[in-house]
Amino acid sequence: MASRFRSREAWTGYLFVLPAVALFAVMGLYTVGYGLALSFAQWNGFTPKWTWVGIGNYLDLIYRDPAIAPVVQAAALRTLVVMIAVPVLTVLVGFPLAVALNHITRLRAAFRTVFFLPQVTAGIALFYAWTYALQPDGSLNYILRHLGLGSIAQPQGWLGNPSTALPTLIVVMVLGSVPVAMLLYLTGLQSIDQSVVDAARVDGASGVRTMTSIIWPLLLPITGAVVMLNLRYALQDFQTFLLMTNGGPGGHTLVLGLESYNLAFVSGFKPTLGLSSALGWILFVVALLLAGINLRVLRSRA
Amino acid sequence: MKARVFVYVVLTAYAVISLYPFALMVSGALKDAAEVRLDGHLIPSDPTLATLAHTWSELHFFTYFGNSLFVTGLTTVGVLVVYSLAGYAFAVLRFPGRRLLYGMFLALLFVPGITMLLPVVILQQKLGLIGTFPGIILPFVNGTAPLSIMLLTNSFRTVPAELKESARCDGAGELRTFWSIYLPIGRPALITIALLTAVPTWNEYVLTRVSLNDASRYTLPLALQNLNSSTAPQENVLMAASLIIVIPVIILFVLLQRYFVNGLQGAVKG
Repeated sequence: MASRFRSREAWTGYLFVLPAVALFAVMGLYTVGYGLALSFAQWNGFTPKWTWVGIGNYLDLIYRDPAIAPVVQAAALRTLVVMIAVPVLTVLVGFPLAVALNHITRLRAAFRTVFFLPQVTAGIALFYAWTYALQPDGSLNYILRHLGLGSIAQPQGWLGNPSTALPTLIVVMVLGSVPVAMLLYLTGLQSIDQSVVDAARVDGASGVRTMTSIIWPLLLPITGAVVMLNLRYALQDFQTFLLMTNGGPGGHTLVLGLESYNLAFVSGFKPTLGLSSALGWILFVVALLLAGINLRVLRSRA
Repeated sequence: MKARVFVYVVLTAYAVISLYPFALMVSGALKDAAEVRLDGHLIPSDPTLATLAHTWSELHFFTYFGNSLFVTGLTTVGVLVVYSLAGYAFAVLRFPGRRLLYGMFLALLFVPGITMLLPVVILQQKLGLIGTFPGIILPFVNGTAPLSIMLLTNSFRTVPAELKESARCDGAGELRTFWSIYLPIGRPALITIALLTAVPTWNEYVLTRVSLNDASRYTLPLALQNLNSSTAPQENVLMAASLIIVIPVIILFVLLQRYFVNGLQGAVKG
C-alpha cells in the first residue's frame, strides 16, 4: 500500500517536471552537445557535411593559425582587462555608495530607485543614449568644454579614440553593475550587529578605522559574491561591445565573446562556425573554473 | 552635520550620472532634426513632440511595441507555468533522480550565452522555427530555468507540511493542492520571477537579432537597431525610439521594485 502511494507520487513528480525537462533536453542538452561536436569540425553553415578536424580549432585559436590566433590573443588580453576592471570598480563604487545610503534615512528609497535605472534598462536603448552622449560633438564633450575642462574632451569622440574606447565601455558596464552590488552591500550593512560597531567606538576607534577593520572584514563574503557575479558578467557580456563599438575603432575593443559572435554570424561563407563553437567552449571552461574557485573559497571560509 | 551634507552631495552626484542617459533620451527626442545635429546642448530651444509621434506612427513603432509585448508576455507566462510546476515537484514531491535533475538545471547557469547562441540558431533552422516568435520564446523560457527553479523551489519549501496534509485529508488531488495552496503562498516569488523574466526579455537583442529576419516581426530593440543602420540615422528619432523602449521598464520597476530587490537578493544567496 505504502509503496503504491510512493510510486504514484513519483509519477506525479515526473509529470510535473516533464515540460521543464523536455524544453531543457531540446534547448539545453541538445544544443550544448551539438555545439561541442561542432567545435571539433570545420563548417560554413551551408555545405551539407562537416569536416572533422579534432582539436584543430582549439589549437588554431590559441596559437596555430597566423590569421586568427593573434586576434584571439589580443581579444583575450582585453577580456582579462575587463574582467579585472569591472569587478574592482564595481566594489570601489558600490561599497561607498551603500555606506552613504545606509547613513541617511530621508530619500534613501528615491536614491536607490534612481541608481537602479541603468541596471534595469541595460540594453540597446541605453547603449545608444551613451553612444549619442560620447560622440565628437556629443553632450559629454559639450559639458566638459563648458565646465572649463575642454582639455579632457575627446575631439574624436570617446568611442572613436582607440585609447579611450575600452575604458569608456568599462565605465558604462560598471554603471550597470553597481546597483546590484550596492544593494547587496546595503543588505549586509543592515545585518551588522550595531553593538559591535558601538563597542569599537567606545574603545576610541575612528569612523574610518571602524570601517576598515570591522565593517569591511564582516562584509567580505558579500565582496566575494559581487566579484564573482561581475567576473561572470565581464567574461560573458559582449552585447555592450557589439552595440556601442562593434569591436572598433580598429579592433581596439574586440573581446572574446564578440570574436566568437563574429566567427559565427558575420563570417559569410568562410568555414569558421567550428572555430566560433570552440571559442565559446573555451569561455565555458573559464566560467566553470571561476565557479570552482568560488566554491572552494566559500568552503574554506566555512 | 558636515558629514551628512557630504553624503547627500555624493549621492546626488551619482544620481545625476545615473539619470544622465535618460535625460539625453528626453532631450534628443524633443529636438527637431536640425537642432539635434548641433553641439550637444541638453535643453532643446524649441521642444517638439513631433519626433515622438512620427516614430510611434509612421515608423511603425506601435507594431514593434505590440511584437515586443507579445514575445515578453508569452515568455513570462511560459516561464511561470513550466517552472512553478517543476518547482512544486522539486520542493514537495519525492521521486528518484530528483536531485540530479535539479542540479542539471542549475548547471545551466554556468553556460555562457555565446556558447549556446549558434547551436540554438541552427536548431531553429532544423525545426523550421527561424524567424518565428516560438523560435525565440522557447530558448528565452529555457534560459530562465536555473533562476526560476531555484527561487520557486525555495519558496514552495517554506510552505508548512501540515497545510498539504490537511488538503490531502479533504481529498484534494496533487494539482488541486498545487493550485489552491502552493501558488497563492508563492505569489511574491512568482511576481519576482515574472519581473526578472519580463525585463531582460523586453531588452533582449542578440538572439532576436540573429533569429528574426522579417521586419514585420521585429521587436523594439531590433527596430531601433534597424533605424540606426539606415543610411542617415537621425539622433532625435533614435532617442525617441529609445524612450519608447525604456519607459515601460521604468514604470514596471518603480511600481514593483520591492519584488525586484527581493529576487536579486534571493538569486545571490541561493
